[in-house]
Amino acid sequence: MLILSRRPGESVTIGDDITVTIVAISGSQVRLGIAAPREVRVLREEIHKAIQEENRAAANVPEAGRKLEDALKRLQSKKPGEPDK
Amino acid sequence: MLSNDYKAKNPANLINNPAGAAVDRLAALGLQDKELFLPAGLLGFPAYQHYKLEPFEPGDGSESPFLLLNAVGHELTFPLIHPASMGLDYRFPSSAELLAALGARVPEDLLPLLIVTLRETLEEITVNLQGPLIVNPIAALGAQLVLEDQPLRHPLLKPGAAEDLMRSC
Repeated sequence: MLILSRRPGESVTIGDDITVTIVAISGSQVRLGIAAPREVRVLREEIHKAIQEENRAAANVPEAGRKLEDALKRLQSKKPGEPDK
Repeated sequence: MLSNDYKAKNPANLINNPAGAAVDRLAALGLQDKELFLPAGLLGFPAYQHYKLEPFEPGDGSESPFLLLNAVGHELTFPLIHPASMGLDYRFPSSAELLAALGARVPEDLLPLLIVTLRETLEEITVNLQGPLIVNPIAALGAQLVLEDQPLRHPLLKPGAAEDLMRSC
């Protein structure tokens, strides 16, 4: 990981198309501005990681067919018009 | 004028029969036997771009709202469900960038499919509302959107469903 020090108002560039600017610092919080092409997805890292992990958890689940069938039986056991509890 | 906020598509057959056969749904959407291309793949699986959407058909021949997203040429599969099949009022933003990326003219060209995370017990099965797979069935293009304000794990079964089942026995 490249570590740099920047002051508010200063920026770093990533490749040719991405610029990260320190907009403000308030206490322990840093406000960042990110300029990137539309096709580049910019996310809070923990969100990106969480979705990656959820995708991985959903992929190739063992006995998926049986679990889907069990879920179906449960979904179908509810009578139509039954109110939510 | 592009709407900022698009409600999940609800063709008449889905409204009348939300838990209806995925086979019929795929046919109605024109996705049967079509290969779906995800230019950016799914988060965590960027190299897998070519998929087929297939209905999940239970062994007893009953109707199923579930779909399977199967990678072409690889052992990789994800179960999916349309939010309407769960009675969910699900909305996602349709930006100009999203429309362009999926070859769509208007937001109504797009539909959301939710990835189902299967777990050991039925009550723990969840659907991912935070990372929907947005599909343009006509262009056969798809992308996983990230909607930070939506829950990552939404229960498939309504709370109390287990108790309801026991009471009905």
